[in-house]
Amino acid sequence: MIDFSQPTPVILSEVRLITPTRRELVLNMGPQHPSTHGVLRVRLTLEGETVIACDPVIGYLHRGVEKLGESHRYAQFVPWTDRTDYVAAPSNNLGYVLAVEKLCGIQAPERAQYWRMIMAELTRIASHLVWLGTHALDIGALSVSLYTFRDRELILDIFEKFCGARLTTNMMEIGGFSREIPPDLPEMVREFCRYFPKAIRQYEDLLTENPIWLARTKGVGVIEPEVAINYGLTGACLRGSGVNYDVRKAMPYLLYDRVEFEVPLGTHGDVYDRYLVRMEEMRQSIRIIEQCLEQVPTDGPLMAYESPYVIPPHKNVMTTAEDMQRHFIWVIKGFSPPKGEVYHAVEHSKGELGYYIVSDGSPIPYRLRIRSPDFVNLQSLPYMAQGAMLADIVALIGTIDIVLGSVDR
Amino acid sequence: MSEPRYRAAVSDTSPWDTTGYWGPTDAEQHPAVRLVRERFPAAFQEVVAFRDEVTIRVARQALRDVVDFLRTHPELRYNHLTDITAVDMLYLRERPRFDVVVQLYSIPRRQRLRIKCGVDDGETVPSLVPIFAGANWLERECFDMFGIVFEGHPDLRRILLPEDWDEGHPLRKDYPLRGYRDYVQPGFEAPAPRIRGTLRRPGP
Repeated sequence: MIDFSQPTPVILSEVRLITPTRRELVLNMGPQHPSTHGVLRVRLTLEGETVIACDPVIGYLHRGVEKLGESHRYAQFVPWTDRTDYVAAPSNNLGYVLAVEKLCGIQAPERAQYWRMIMAELTRIASHLVWLGTHALDIGALSVSLYTFRDRELILDIFEKFCGARLTTNMMEIGGFSREIPPDLPEMVREFCRYFPKAIRQYEDLLTENPIWLARTKGVGVIEPEVAINYGLTGACLRGSGVNYDVRKAMPYLLYDRVEFEVPLGTHGDVYDRYLVRMEEMRQSIRIIEQCLEQVPTDGPLMAYESPYVIPPHKNVMTTAEDMQRHFIWVIKGFSPPKGEVYHAVEHSKGELGYYIVSDGSPIPYRLRIRSPDFVNLQSLPYMAQGAMLADIVALIGTIDIVLGSVDR
Repeated sequence: MSEPRYRAAVSDTSPWDTTGYWGPTDAEQHPAVRLVRERFPAAFQEVVAFRDEVTIRVARQALRDVVDFLRTHPELRYNHLTDITAVDMLYLRERPRFDVVVQLYSIPRRQRLRIKCGVDDGETVPSLVPIFAGANWLERECFDMFGIVFEGHPDLRRILLPEDWDEGHPLRKDYPLRGYRDYVQPGFEAPAPRIRGTLRRPGP
C-alpha cells in the first residue's frame, strides 16, 4: 500500500528518438492492425524480440470534437459525446450532462438519478465485456469473445428498449430523461442481474486459472503505484496497481453514496491484476444495479422541469402558450448558463472522464474540454513496453483498454 | 409584476457540496489558497470560487514551482495531475491571449484544485514534465491545438494532427471551423466547393 505521508516520487519519462543502431530494428505496428483496437500506430524499436523503445502515434481518428463543441449549443452536443467512446456511450452522456447541470446549478430528480446510475453501470459492464472479449482474443483465447459479445447483446437490448438505439444512445438529457421508463424495463434489468453472475463464472472458468492465460499476463506490464500516480492514470490501470481512487467513492456524484459497493484493488500492478480488477468491477456493478432497482421510486418526475435551463414537458408545450414559447426559444436559441467554469468527472469504465466547460454566458460553450481517460492511460504504454517482448505488446495495448475514438476525440 | 414562474432549482446553496468532499465554498478558507499566497506572494494573482471549485491564478513563470509546492506540501499533497489544457481568451479580454489550465487532484485528501496562468502568443510556460510524467502528452496536445510552447518539454511535437500540418492550431478562436482549405488527395480532383462558414458567436 502506498504511503501518502511522503510526496509521490517523480518518474522521469525517458524520451528516445528513433535512431536505430546496427543491432536494432524499427517495426511499425498499425494503424491497421487487428489487435490495436482501432487505428493506433505503434513504432517499436526492437533488438531481437525485445522492445527497446515504443512510440505510440495517435490521431488517426481525430475529428475535432472539442472544436465542434465550441460551435454547438449545449443540448446539441450530447449526441457528439456518444461518438467519443463509442462502446460506452451512456457514460459519456452522463459526464457531459452532469457537467452542464453543475454549471447551471440544477439537479435531476431522484428517480432520474437512480436510472442514470443503472444505465451507467450497465454501460460499464458492456464496455468491460468488449474489453474482455478483445483482450482475450489478442492474447489467443478466441472463444471468450463469443461469450462476452453474446452477453453484451442483452445489455444492448435494454438500451434499445429504453431509448431506441444500441450503440450511440444519446440517452441522457440535461435535467434528466425526457422519455418515460418503459414499464417492462425494470424486469428486463432484473432478469439480466439474475443471469449475469453465471456468465461471469463462465468467463472466469475459461481464463482465471488457465495456464496459458496466466503465462501471458502474470508479471507482464507491471506498473508500480508511484508510477501510476505520477503518470496520472485512472480507472483499472490505477487500481490494478493498488491505489484506491474511484471517483464514485472519492467524490460521489449522483446517488453513489447511497449504495454499497467495494472498489477492487490489485496488488502487483500487472496485466493479470487489471484483469481481476475489471472482473470484480462487473460484479460490483451488478450489486449497484440491484440496490438501485430496490431503491428507485416507481413513480415521479424524470426531468427537472422547474428549472429554466430544461426543455419544457411535451404535454405543456402542446397545451399552454407560455410553454410553447419557452420551447421555441429553447430549441432555436438554446439556453444561456451563467458565466463561469466547471470541471466534472465521472468514473467511466476506462477511468476518470472529465468535462471542463468554460461558459461566457452565451448559449454555446466558450471552451469544451474532454479529459478522456484512455488518452492519459495510453501514455503508460512506453513505460510498460520497455524491455518487454514483442508478443506482449498486444497484451499491453489490450490491458490499457483504449478506444481510439476517445483517445483521439 | 408577479414572481417569474420558472427559476433555477438551486440558486444560493449549491447541491454539489452535499457529499462533503467538495471543500468549503469560501475560497479564502481553502488551505491551498492560503499556503500558495504565503509561499508565492509575488506570483499569486487571484482566486476564484465557482460551484465549489477553486481556481488560483498565478504568474506563468511560477507555474511549475507552484504545482511542485502543491504536490510536495504535507498538508496538500496534490499528487495526481488530472488535466492540462488551455483556453483561447481572444473574445473575452485583450491580453494575455491564452489561459493554461492545470487540474490537480489530491488522492489522500480527495480535493480538486485548478491552477491557471495567462500566456501570450510567443511566450512560453514552464513544462510540468519534470514533476509529472503524465504531463507529456497533455502538453503536446496543448501545443498541437493552441501553439503554446512549454519550456523544458523533452519532446514537444504535434500529437493529434499530422506532423506536417501547416495550417496552424485548430482550437484557436480565429481558426475557421472547417479549416482554411480542403484536403485533396494526390491523384484525385478537388472536392466540390462547400459553403464555409466562419465560427459565428453571439457577442458577449
